[in-house]
Amino acid sequence: MSGVVWRIVMLALVVFLVSPILLLAFFSFNDGGIAAFPVDTLSLRWWRAMIEDQSFRAALANSLWIGVTVALIASALGTMAALGLAQMPRRPAEATIAMLSLPLMLPPMVLGVSLLSFYVRLKVPLGFATVVMSHLLFTLPFVIIVVYARLRSFNFAMVESARDLGASPMRAFMTITLPNIRLAVIGGGLLALALSLDDFVVTFFTIGTGNTLPTFVWGMIRTSLTPLANAIGTLIIFFSLGMTLVAAYLLRTSRN
Amino acid sequence: MKAERGNLLLVLPALATFAALFACPFLYFFAISFFSMKSYRMNFTPTLANYLHILENNAGTLAFTLALAAVIASLATVLGLIYAYAMRFRFQRQAEALLLIAVLTLFGGYLMKIYAWKTILGTQGVLNLGLVGLGLTDQPLAVLLYSPAAVAITLVNFLLPMAILPIYSSLRGIPDIEIEAARDLGASPLQQLRDVILPRAAPGLISAFALCFLISAGDYVTPALVGGTTTTMGSLIAPQFGSFFNWPLGAAMSFVMLTLGVAAIFSCTAAVRLAGQLLR
Repeated sequence: MSGVVWRIVMLALVVFLVSPILLLAFFSFNDGGIAAFPVDTLSLRWWRAMIEDQSFRAALANSLWIGVTVALIASALGTMAALGLAQMPRRPAEATIAMLSLPLMLPPMVLGVSLLSFYVRLKVPLGFATVVMSHLLFTLPFVIIVVYARLRSFNFAMVESARDLGASPMRAFMTITLPNIRLAVIGGGLLALALSLDDFVVTFFTIGTGNTLPTFVWGMIRTSLTPLANAIGTLIIFFSLGMTLVAAYLLRTSRN
Repeated sequence: MKAERGNLLLVLPALATFAALFACPFLYFFAISFFSMKSYRMNFTPTLANYLHILENNAGTLAFTLALAAVIASLATVLGLIYAYAMRFRFQRQAEALLLIAVLTLFGGYLMKIYAWKTILGTQGVLNLGLVGLGLTDQPLAVLLYSPAAVAITLVNFLLPMAILPIYSSLRGIPDIEIEAARDLGASPLQQLRDVILPRAAPGLISAFALCFLISAGDYVTPALVGGTTTTMGSLIAPQFGSFFNWPLGAAMSFVMLTLGVAAIFSCTAAVRLAGQLLR
């Protein structure tokens, strides 16, 4: 294939990937009542309506609380696991990571309904805690993979020297290991936050009665094409893409 | 020895999370599929009734779901290969930007992308306005939305980044020198692709296909939003946990779908490997 054909093909693929997101954002500024053409005037009408909506605010607060809790727990547990795995022989370590990544291979619906039936069986009340636990399942593998990759090029002899010189394991971790892997840990945590904020399916089955942003917007988009849904959707994407962008930057810096 | 025990202890919380929140629920879910419902209560006497029910009533939907998932996964894998190939061999200078686009679209917007396709494919949607504007049709095409094709387009769009990344990472593992050697020995680009690149990309292609296949087979949101009357296994399973309230049947449907899905992936992989060996 010639250069021109390649250029057209790649342009088409990039447009295909990003156009749904751009159109979604564009229609949120439509002053009219429907998220479709014709767009006569652009305005912040629907964004204002969004901010004034009480149930939106409740859903936003839930989303942020859940996301931050998930990110903190996932980066703590994930960093510990990566530290242990990086000091093991490569084969069993990578087999363990593959096993821990199994939940990512399953359709999220199967994950969601199996967790739902399990929680109900154990009489765990559905809500904040069940959503956080469920999100750990598909965010933890990402943190482990990212921190493990960083630790592969980390020289553990430095930690041993610190220990030989009398540093406690905790002190050796805080002064030697953590500063070296800091960016990977934060990057992994931000990916976890992005995935948690964006998740709809698993949250839908495990939340019980409350709402996060995606489950809140789901009620709107089933029946109508209101630009209000576009505004909320744009906000969700803005959050998760923003987190991912920062994470990608940090992970790139940590590699160099 | 002491250090090794320490390492294991560090991994323990992650393993415990996995066991408590994945292995146990999954096994319990499997057990449920052999129970039954009696006046809104679960009856714990084991039975194969759910599986027989599926065999009698849902074989068609099952076949349709797997066929649709196969089409979606093939499209996503082929487009993913094109994208990854271009990043690795054609647009090395833009590779980082192209990779960033794939990563960004991977981590955000599942539900909102499906919703956006509703605004693109609808009768008042962007695509129809374009077609009418260009004079290609005089009436907006209603079939674009609420059809299996709409489900396929939407899911390919969502899954493409998931296909690109594993394929790209396997293409990155091919040393330039192997390609150059093939070229110097007179291999055409197509021969390079067949004899050098594809065999090396096989693991990435297989995991891309498997991931896209399983996820699209088990999706229920896309058919619900853009599929119209399109019924997949996902659209049968989800209501069992909502309005129909028949968890055992829903669990059995999930396991039938997963088992057949995994079996299909294994046989496809075996067939592709065999074809690859015969071609050489």
